[in-house]
Amino acid sequence: MYLEVRGLETYAATGGKEFDPALPTVMFVHGSGLDHRSWALQTRWFAYNGYAVLAPDLPGHSLSAGEPLETIEEMGAWLADFIRAAGVDRVHAIGHSQGFLDVLELAEVAPEMLKSITGVGTAGAIPVNPALIEAAAQSAGNAAEMLLMWGFGPDAQYGISAVPGMQPIAIGRQIMAANPLYEDLVACANYTRGSEVAQSLDLPAQLILARKDRLTPVKAGMAFAEELGAQVTIIERYGHMLPIEAPRQTLQKLRELIGSMEVGEREAG
Amino acid sequence: MSRSSYLKPDTVALHTGYVPESDHGSRAVPIYQTTSYVFGSVSEGSSLFNVEQGGHIYSRITNPTVAVLEQRIAALEGGSGAICSASGMSALFMTFITLCSAGDHLVSATQIYGSTATLLKHTIKRLGIDCSFVPINDAEALRGAIKPNTKLVFCESIGNPGLEIADIPGIAAIAHEAGIPLVVDATFATPSLCRPIDHGADVVVHSVTKWIGGHGVAVGGAIVDGGRFDWQQSGRFPELTEPYAPFHGIRFWEEFGPSALVMKMRAESMRDIGATMSPHNAFLILQGLETLSLRMKQHVANARQLLDWLQRQESVTWTNYPDLESNPSHQLAATLFPDGAGSMLCFGVVGGRAGGAAFIDSLQLSSNLANVGDARTLVLHPASTTHSRLTVDDMKAAGISEDMIRVSVGLEDIADIKADFSRGFKAAERVAGAA
Repeated sequence: MYLEVRGLETYAATGGKEFDPALPTVMFVHGSGLDHRSWALQTRWFAYNGYAVLAPDLPGHSLSAGEPLETIEEMGAWLADFIRAAGVDRVHAIGHSQGFLDVLELAEVAPEMLKSITGVGTAGAIPVNPALIEAAAQSAGNAAEMLLMWGFGPDAQYGISAVPGMQPIAIGRQIMAANPLYEDLVACANYTRGSEVAQSLDLPAQLILARKDRLTPVKAGMAFAEELGAQVTIIERYGHMLPIEAPRQTLQKLRELIGSMEVGEREAG
Repeated sequence: MSRSSYLKPDTVALHTGYVPESDHGSRAVPIYQTTSYVFGSVSEGSSLFNVEQGGHIYSRITNPTVAVLEQRIAALEGGSGAICSASGMSALFMTFITLCSAGDHLVSATQIYGSTATLLKHTIKRLGIDCSFVPINDAEALRGAIKPNTKLVFCESIGNPGLEIADIPGIAAIAHEAGIPLVVDATFATPSLCRPIDHGADVVVHSVTKWIGGHGVAVGGAIVDGGRFDWQQSGRFPELTEPYAPFHGIRFWEEFGPSALVMKMRAESMRDIGATMSPHNAFLILQGLETLSLRMKQHVANARQLLDWLQRQESVTWTNYPDLESNPSHQLAATLFPDGAGSMLCFGVVGGRAGGAAFIDSLQLSSNLANVGDARTLVLHPASTTHSRLTVDDMKAAGISEDMIRVSVGLEDIADIKADFSRGFKAAERVAGAA
């Protein structure tokens, strides 16, 4: 669906069902250079199983208008405006990689809007190699190649795909090459407040990490989980692009946490 | 260059889409000879049907063995995904009817395979889809043929049997100016010699029966989605951008972006038409694909040696191969096919139609049949077989003459192929001498 955020047309996938703000809402936030499609194998399940889904394209990404936001802090504030524009009071917020840094900043500025936060393939800081940023400044396509070569785990590099006949690397490249990857990487590289924000939060949190993640390694994710007080799940064999590489396992963990919280909330009254 | 794998092409051909499975450690891709797949629960079955997760439901739609072949072909072509089908013709049919509906129009190259010409000229016309044929490298003719209801431009990267090379970058630019995709049948080239997506094509179609399978044992087709075409911006493809009623109003472009076309084709054409590749055929074609680049090198080497020899034979009245300087496509061939423009060549023999027939009938090693891309050398007289349904004018437009011999040069020792053809030339000379 399209909605207006800060006067600009903004796209948000709703999982193939009409958005109903009366339902418990799950918001999915994409990572650097990506868009709502990185959550294609999670959003439909939630939409067809009792939830309302919002998977926005951040400003200047894929189907959303506007210029890309320059800092993670701005992205967090934008997410708060986006949730208001959707007419929702509280959401379960899920972020992949940089998307979780955005969620952290949202939690900092508007914790009352959040029921829970989940990070997938992430850490409290995501340093970016200056050579990658330089490559992105010259060509998003070339930088996407570098990022995806590191981002996908070994099985995906061998072309194992959760969707028969598809080549996730090619799909990722097409999306990243058409999006403001440079601006996102710079925002990621400059963000240093993750630990500070994490320690100030009091929200149910979980991290889903990948054993073969070379961009946000498990070690960094585990250290961050301690600061955040988050439950941790490590998915074996897969790399940084968990929502695409291991969609079933990622979905299962999301269902468990968000499902149990919703049951608890209903029982509490 | 479009990338869908960071492995090199020869490695992709051997490994992509499969890692040895855990139960038995089978090194080769197993043949999943099954119609259907057990759901772990009602909920899982439901989520598979609703595209909430990827997986297999029924082998008319997807099959694990076929999926490996699809992923390898997609990776070799640099596409976002692929669908394999029962034949090259079914791959073309599914492509055309996915992109065109009744009242729509497409533009095709004149020099194309005879059955494809029949499909475009007669069969899809019955469904209300019109086709204009143009000399595909004539930019003005192509521009002039595109109408407001045109949905695609179609050509073969190497035309069959005229061996005209399509100027893929130039054609793609004209198609994209008009907001429509370029569909290229790359059967004669294979991704080993030319990757059309790298040159601007949006969809690539193959008859994998030919060089990709390479051994003349299994019929099949493939459609590769280049993933770059912006169906939304084009504004001509509501079937990809607007809600699709049979699937809970899904919008393929919004949901799947770079793989929208193959997802739509899978959901609609594979479901409704069912032109499925069998898992056994996929396995056989995989065996061929694994050695594709090695075979193509030898096919090209043999074709060039045979051509060189044919040009020195007195019984040969003319020769045609895209690399030839006399071929108008020569420069294009050098640019788009740096490792050789395939292993098809054509020539005429003394004695005209009767001389050609005598030539073919006297061959012992080479096979007279209606196929190309076998490991063995194949010969054919197009005017009396594959293109016999065309009028004389249409044949001429398609680059065919009555004395044309079409050769698919195989992998035999070149000395034996020459010896066989020498036998044929003697027969043709006898006919010519008697006339």
